[in-house]
Amino acid sequence: MEKKTGVYICTGCGIGDALESAALTKVATGEYKVPVCKEHPFLCSAEGAALIRTDLEEAGVNTIVIAACSPRVMTDVFDFGADTVMERVNLREQVVWSHPANDEDTQMLAEDQLRMGLVKARDAEPPEPFMAEDLSKRVLVVGGGLAGMTSANEAAKAGYEVVLVENSDRLGGYLKDVYKLPPSQPPYEELQESNLEALTQEVNNQPAIKTYLGVQIEAISGAPCMFDVRIRQNGQEAAERVGAIVLASGSVPYDPNKLLDLGYGKVPDVVTAAQLEAMFTTGKVTRPSNGQPVKSVAFILCAGSRDPQHLPYCSAACCVESLKQAKYFKETDGGMPVYVFYKDIRASGNYELFYKQLQKDGVFFVRGAVTAIEDDGSGGLTVLADDELTRSPIMSESVDLVVLATGMVPTTAFGEAFKAQAPKEGDEESVVPSDTILVSNILNLQYRQGPEMPALQYGFPDSHFICFPYESRRTGIYAAGSVRAPMDYARCTEDGAGAALKAIQCVEMVAQGRAVHPRVGDQTYPEFFMQRCTQCKRCTEECPFGAINEDEKANPLPNPTRCRRCGVCMGACPERIISFKNYSVAMVGNMIKGINVPEEDEEKPRLLVLTCENDAYPALDLAGIRRLTYNPWVRFIQVRCLGSMNLVWIADALSKGIDGILLLGCKHGDEYQCHFIKGSELANIRMTKVQETLNRLVLESDRVRLEQLSIADYERLPEILDGFADRVQELGPNPYKGY
Amino acid sequence: MEPKNVSLEMRDYIAEMGAETINWCMQCGLCTNLCPWRLVPGETSDGFNIRHMQRLGQMGMEGFEEETILFACSTCSMCQSNCPRGVKIVDNVRGMRASIVGGGMAPAHLRPILGSAHANGNPWAGPREKRTVWQEGLDIPQFGPETEYFLFVCCHSCYDPRSTKIARSIAALLRHAGVSFGVIGAEESCCGESMRKMGDEELFLKLAESNIELYNGKGVQKIITTSPHCLWTFKNEYPELGGEWEVIHYTALLSQLQEEGKLPLAKSLAKKTAFHDPCYLGRHSEIYDAPRQLLSSALQADPVELGRARELSLCCAGGGGRIWAEVPMGERFGELRIKDALNVGAEVLATSCPYCLNMLTDACKSLDQQDSLEILELSEILAGALEEGQ
Repeated sequence: MEKKTGVYICTGCGIGDALESAALTKVATGEYKVPVCKEHPFLCSAEGAALIRTDLEEAGVNTIVIAACSPRVMTDVFDFGADTVMERVNLREQVVWSHPANDEDTQMLAEDQLRMGLVKARDAEPPEPFMAEDLSKRVLVVGGGLAGMTSANEAAKAGYEVVLVENSDRLGGYLKDVYKLPPSQPPYEELQESNLEALTQEVNNQPAIKTYLGVQIEAISGAPCMFDVRIRQNGQEAAERVGAIVLASGSVPYDPNKLLDLGYGKVPDVVTAAQLEAMFTTGKVTRPSNGQPVKSVAFILCAGSRDPQHLPYCSAACCVESLKQAKYFKETDGGMPVYVFYKDIRASGNYELFYKQLQKDGVFFVRGAVTAIEDDGSGGLTVLADDELTRSPIMSESVDLVVLATGMVPTTAFGEAFKAQAPKEGDEESVVPSDTILVSNILNLQYRQGPEMPALQYGFPDSHFICFPYESRRTGIYAAGSVRAPMDYARCTEDGAGAALKAIQCVEMVAQGRAVHPRVGDQTYPEFFMQRCTQCKRCTEECPFGAINEDEKANPLPNPTRCRRCGVCMGACPERIISFKNYSVAMVGNMIKGINVPEEDEEKPRLLVLTCENDAYPALDLAGIRRLTYNPWVRFIQVRCLGSMNLVWIADALSKGIDGILLLGCKHGDEYQCHFIKGSELANIRMTKVQETLNRLVLESDRVRLEQLSIADYERLPEILDGFADRVQELGPNPYKGY
Repeated sequence: MEPKNVSLEMRDYIAEMGAETINWCMQCGLCTNLCPWRLVPGETSDGFNIRHMQRLGQMGMEGFEEETILFACSTCSMCQSNCPRGVKIVDNVRGMRASIVGGGMAPAHLRPILGSAHANGNPWAGPREKRTVWQEGLDIPQFGPETEYFLFVCCHSCYDPRSTKIARSIAALLRHAGVSFGVIGAEESCCGESMRKMGDEELFLKLAESNIELYNGKGVQKIITTSPHCLWTFKNEYPELGGEWEVIHYTALLSQLQEEGKLPLAKSLAKKTAFHDPCYLGRHSEIYDAPRQLLSSALQADPVELGRARELSLCCAGGGGRIWAEVPMGERFGELRIKDALNVGAEVLATSCPYCLNMLTDACKSLDQQDSLEILELSEILAGALEEGQ
């Protein structure tokens, strides 16, 4: 396509008062020979947008550069369709609002930002969306418990076909073994009958839901909208093609055999909550030791939970489940002694009213650690505890039964850790920490990085739960219910619906060739120039979403519909063969080369700042909005993720004579905030390597720095940018300047 | 440390004795932090923690029966009116006391009080026939079939010489406003409010039954009380025993009469005056505006508010039987209250409860501030403001 570029410079919002717009026009028409360049005092007005539209329609312009406000605002006004290459140069927030007006350095910053925008517009191509073949919009739901059934129902009600697979021979999951439910309606004081039957009925009455019972998933291959699922049932095998997957395989109780301190396995009358529930469902509530009826009972909450020796986390539902079981006894005999030993009663929301009711019912609530469970000599048990509320050790009266409320362990937390391939001798050991993937035999994904979902913590296949609920690290696969995080009935129901919605979003976006979260709607995807591939495996190993498989010769096999478009592969590739239509190693390299670097004697250092589009870039905009000022030697390039940074850019910048390079990205580590999970961590690892190289070249490693910040940290930006500028000034000019 | 035993039987016994909401408590501790005992130093303050005491009660564990703990609470209701669980803390205290006192284990200093109430129908060791001494020279009418209100004078104002001024002032005000009222006299017994709070259920029942029989026999329909304590028990504890009357505190009645124009007062008192809300009139009965309105109409300037007023008023320490407790100087709530009044520059501290009058007067003397601050009952100020000749 022959490009005809139009440049549109807005002089509103103070831009025209602070900058010499004629000089900017000269950059476009003189240096870059742009045929069309116009100024407008109010470009985002209907008139301004019409100016651009007229040029697109009548003057043959097909590539535009808008030098105005931040690309994060006015996106509706400046929307000229995917076929038009558009680049926006941020003169407002990041130039005139954060630097002094009519200043030589401010003007130079504006001109360089325009140069880089012009280069990018020149090199970028319109996207050609990846279209899946034989695509399916069906949703596979793995697990027929509360979350899974809800998910299946919700997806079906929204008009999507569902394949529901359940390991056991009956739907219901945890609910199958439940006698009654805690209250979910006013006055929140009485137990409720299980709703399993109605829920099962609803699933069975949905013609759009195809249910498989008593099955195992043999394998899932492919990618969103093209998943091929092999299901084994009674020795037979069935195949289904689906578009997205909801993982709702639930959790299992923590192994009570590890709770010897609490007498489990030694004392017959110490049972688990699950065993007690079974006693009530079968109607035979008796003491295991002698078969006599239970006349008094003690519940021990957090049995193995919130305990570094066992499960370090809170299982969220056991408090209320234990209150519910206490109510079973109080309903039978109001005068029966019932003890609840707890760390904290976590009965949030309306469950508080249920807790209050049980207090009124006369349950003894004891806050503190259980120190011993002893045989009292008469066949009963006494529980000793340190009562925090009287600051004294206490002893219960004799009880017939002790019930341990054990926590939830996700079904994904079992199995050996997956190891892709042991590095061959001589291979460079990967410095990138790989995800924890346990071979738990649930999904059996045919993914190069491993057959199941990567875990975030404690085996739960969550992504970043604060920012992105229901997201996982496998595109098109969404966890719901207690496999995702410990939760109660109400949250499971909500989770099932939420995950169904995510699955639907995924199949719809993928069917249009668009990306899902977080680059929602992006129509570009990474393309591999395979002739130059050296089979180094960095892209396959470093992709945070396991999008890239491998053939037997270690060639990468990309799956564009699994891709989130972060560009981590592009950053990883030493051969620079991975490119997007509007984002590539060469493109950014050329932008860097477009920066006008003054001679050494002009004493105007230049600092390249690579900013992550998710937090750092909007933080810079916020700094501008707040009129915070900072050093004008900075030159900003927005990147999809710091993980997409290719090391050659550092070399490009240094050989160009740029004095320092600052990487602004998200927080990494255990509490990471990177939208692409590992991007900023990978950038950090790569930067360490760069610094080694710099030292070897007798270039100070301080010239390259990585700073982590969140969007809320915009106030720190002047300090970060000025501090870096000061340090670079101390180091003196880049010795390669002028070469 | 030897483990303490939990006892369901003991817990249930305490609950049966009146601590019906003992199990509702979730031990948040707001009660303890709002308790006036936190504002003073000393042995009782160190030993008494209402959350802890309730915890022992709800576990049926020993340790609460110690005198400095069990009998420390003045039942001011600061905790109860702020409890997020709606626990009837005052009833719990009463129930726990009753579980001990009911077994004949009343503390030594309270035995003569309870004994006097048993024998004389009043806790002040006054002979029954002396109950009417305050009426001398006033020609107070006897309650009869034609009388609208029965005026019940608190035992304190019958026997305590300083306090009799309250009864005399109230009678003068009622007469001035043309209220049809009368007294019964020596046959009246103590209302028993404090006796019950001290845990003597049996004595309370005896007093209440005798009063109910007497009043009902006389055809009483409406009662004016001089003390908010009598008001509270008549309104809240007597009905289930058969004493169902319309009961009103004198401040509420007088403020109604004033609104009707039946009680013209002269703005005669020139001194800077503050009002102390009695716990049983304020937090327990939620009467805050009537006394203020009355006081305003007798003052030349507007009354001043104390730093802690109305719902946040600080207890004088006279309720729950504490009026009979020996408390070392420096540990008395009343002393803090005197300082509150001095802090706002008051020259008069007015209240509308005989116990408060008693406790605040003592505190003022123990701080040697009687020359700077005068303690008056509201009725005395109002009576002094009656326009002559009306």
